[in-house]
Amino acid sequence: MTSEYLLRTLLMLILALFSANASNWLYLAKLSSVGSISEEETCEKLKGLIQRQVQICKRSVEVMDAVRRGAQLAIDECQFQFRNRRWNCSTLDTLPVFGKVVTQGTREAAFVYAISSASVAFAVTRACSSGELEKCGCDRNVYGVSPEGFQWSGCSDNIAYGVAFSQSFVDVRERSKGLSSSRALMNLHNNEAGRKAILNNMRVECKCHGVSGSCEVKTCWKAMPPFRKVGNVIKEKFDGATEVEQRRVGTTKVLVPKNSQFKPHTDEDLVYLDPSPDFCDHDPRNGVLGTAGRRCNRTSKAIDGCELMCCGRGFHTEEVEVVDRCSCKFHWCCYVRCKQCRKMVEMHTCR
Amino acid sequence: MAGAIIENMSTKKLVIVGVILLLFQVFSFLVGGLIAPSPTTAVHYMATKCVDVRKSQQRSKWFMPWGPNQCNKIRDFDEAMVRMIEANDIVFAVHIPLPNKEMSPWFQFMLVILQFDIAFKLVNQIEDGAVVTIDVGLAYRDDTVSDWTEMAHSIEQRKLSCNFTTPKTFENEGVTTSATERKRVNVGIGEIKDIRLVGIHQNGGFTKVWFAMKTFLTPSILIIMVWYWRRITLMTRPPVLLEKVIFALGISMTFINIPVEWFSVGFNWTWMLLFGDIRQGIFYAMLLSFWIIFCGEHLMDQMERNRFAVYWKQVGPIVFGSFCLFIFDMCERGVQLKNPFYSIWASDVGTELAMAFIIVAGICACLYFLFLCFMVFQVFRNISGKRTCLPAMSKARRLHYEGLIFRFKFLMLVTLACAAMTVIFFIISQVNEGHWHWGDYTVQVNSAFFTGIYGMWNLYVFAIMFLYAPSHKRYGDEQSNGDLGVNSGEDIQLTTTITHVDGPTEIYKMTGKGAQE
Repeated sequence: MTSEYLLRTLLMLILALFSANASNWLYLAKLSSVGSISEEETCEKLKGLIQRQVQICKRSVEVMDAVRRGAQLAIDECQFQFRNRRWNCSTLDTLPVFGKVVTQGTREAAFVYAISSASVAFAVTRACSSGELEKCGCDRNVYGVSPEGFQWSGCSDNIAYGVAFSQSFVDVRERSKGLSSSRALMNLHNNEAGRKAILNNMRVECKCHGVSGSCEVKTCWKAMPPFRKVGNVIKEKFDGATEVEQRRVGTTKVLVPKNSQFKPHTDEDLVYLDPSPDFCDHDPRNGVLGTAGRRCNRTSKAIDGCELMCCGRGFHTEEVEVVDRCSCKFHWCCYVRCKQCRKMVEMHTCR
Repeated sequence: MAGAIIENMSTKKLVIVGVILLLFQVFSFLVGGLIAPSPTTAVHYMATKCVDVRKSQQRSKWFMPWGPNQCNKIRDFDEAMVRMIEANDIVFAVHIPLPNKEMSPWFQFMLVILQFDIAFKLVNQIEDGAVVTIDVGLAYRDDTVSDWTEMAHSIEQRKLSCNFTTPKTFENEGVTTSATERKRVNVGIGEIKDIRLVGIHQNGGFTKVWFAMKTFLTPSILIIMVWYWRRITLMTRPPVLLEKVIFALGISMTFINIPVEWFSVGFNWTWMLLFGDIRQGIFYAMLLSFWIIFCGEHLMDQMERNRFAVYWKQVGPIVFGSFCLFIFDMCERGVQLKNPFYSIWASDVGTELAMAFIIVAGICACLYFLFLCFMVFQVFRNISGKRTCLPAMSKARRLHYEGLIFRFKFLMLVTLACAAMTVIFFIISQVNEGHWHWGDYTVQVNSAFFTGIYGMWNLYVFAIMFLYAPSHKRYGDEQSNGDLGVNSGEDIQLTTTITHVDGPTEIYKMTGKGAQE
């Protein structure tokens, strides 16, 4: 009896160890009750963080608010990008945030990892610019963090700090596991690809300010793209993601495309190990909600069309009254007051 | 006293001088490329949305986005709506610099670009030609504890220039909007999400290197200037026009070199930037005038020149163009001394006026270059005309004439090379991202451009003053086999107008040499 109990406990432990995944910190977005994360004690209470992340949290507690905003940003963007797909990035109120789909090495997991590491870099960079963080910038300069360094040659871009923080905070789980498992390699690659989506899409803006405003003196800087743009880029990479497998080259293990005829993936591409399920049917064991009850577009032939969305199960059509905003007036200041217009529309939902 | 140094100097010495100047040139590039940091830094700031609670309780007019005494912040406008805060009570606050940094007088100037993040909403679209009204204030304090002192306050209007590339049918189709308010302020500019700022300031390190360079260059140009003028006064004849112009060029170079900017570090001299622009403008005008007069005086025709009035046609556009730019600069930077938020480009009338000034200045520049190119063409035509006479002369004289023409062409070439260098480096610094990595070294291309080009024009002025100073060397010392008693009309024709005031007693070049012997 006791041995059975012990065995079960052990099994649970092992299961817990493996099912826990590195994107659990996204649960931060759900912790609205915690309020501001401003004290080190709060770090211990945060659900979803692994021990190393708690350490980082304690070390740079001021950044955590930005990390939480980043998590929220990642979830919002994911849900926007996948609003018309069978898997619509819906979150659960338990761990893991996106259900078990993301704990497997699927395409969807690749997207979640990429968008979340990008969102942390993005949110931390923004927090830097608004002066919330004291450690930003300057840290990567030749002349160091000293005020003299700032006076002599200014500071490095905040994006450098944002990306570096994302690297340390998001990647820490995989790094602590060691670089042996193919999942760790895949996650690390996708994390980096997410950050690259920001770095490679920075807009260069310039201002001329020479004599009489001539371009004799010109200063250029790099501005972060809007996060929607980053989301679009990662979504494109999702659509063209490469299925890979682990292979040993010399002493290191690397990921190579499964189909050797495909050209090898670049740093910016997403990679995945396992094919995704079809997400058609409700499967609570795997955390798949299924598409039953989802709205679909009858005329569309794409994935949001009823044919594909409902996996051939057919759909209900009902007339519903939709209350819409119309003849809106903008009032000073700053709200829009609209009339409510009612109209009947056909709504299609999957069976 | 006969001729300028460049004519009397042996080729060997000329080469030595050239090599020394070239070394200094390389040095001035290296100073900028290796020692100085990049000239300017752009720092991103994000405005914090503070709630103005003054209406309920009298408090400071200034809002701190972070640090102690932080303002009452809101994250976005949805939060404001929930908390029933009117947009009128929201103040976008920015503290420059970011935490743990300190501003310094070494930054010399700072300019800030305001960028609005506007969310696209069909119910609240940006109208065409939307104008945003900004109630903006600027305050400073010398340490982190003292009270804020207001520096400027203004209500500014700026046009929004937005580009929305994706089609405007996203969500909420069919919702139309019409604005009916008593006060049409900041209506029809869309929904502002955030205000971002980009603050640009000159790097302290660059300022220091720049000042050091100026401090080093001032005495060197000053010394050669004094030496040059002493040479001229030592002559029995009064100075000719070209000599005066060269001296004026030296003066304007010194004027730009004198490092009065040192004072701006200690004193609150905000006009230094404008003053710097004016000094630079004077030098450019002087340099352009010098080229015209230099060409004119080497035209080698029989016309009587040597008077400034002869060149009014060519110098006129320069003066007029510089004057236009001066007025423009006064309208922009001059007014900014009073109101730092002012921009001539903000209003339609101002934009048209500014464009008019710039176009007129551009036309003047085109006119000038047409004149200059024509004159250079004429000089070369005359030189080739003279060259056909060369075979008829004796060997020594021919060699000497060829030398003369060579050296004149050499100087033309130097000028062209300097101009070409300026243009090439300008293009490089525009196209490049500002720094090159050379192994472990980082070369700051932009800084190298500034120090290198500045050093180059200093060396140019230095070289001209040195090489065109009257020589005290006698021709007899240099060349033993002169052509005796040659005083033909042909020789007089060949002499340039630099000489013809010298009269027969101080005949210049070959003629002079012949007379001396």
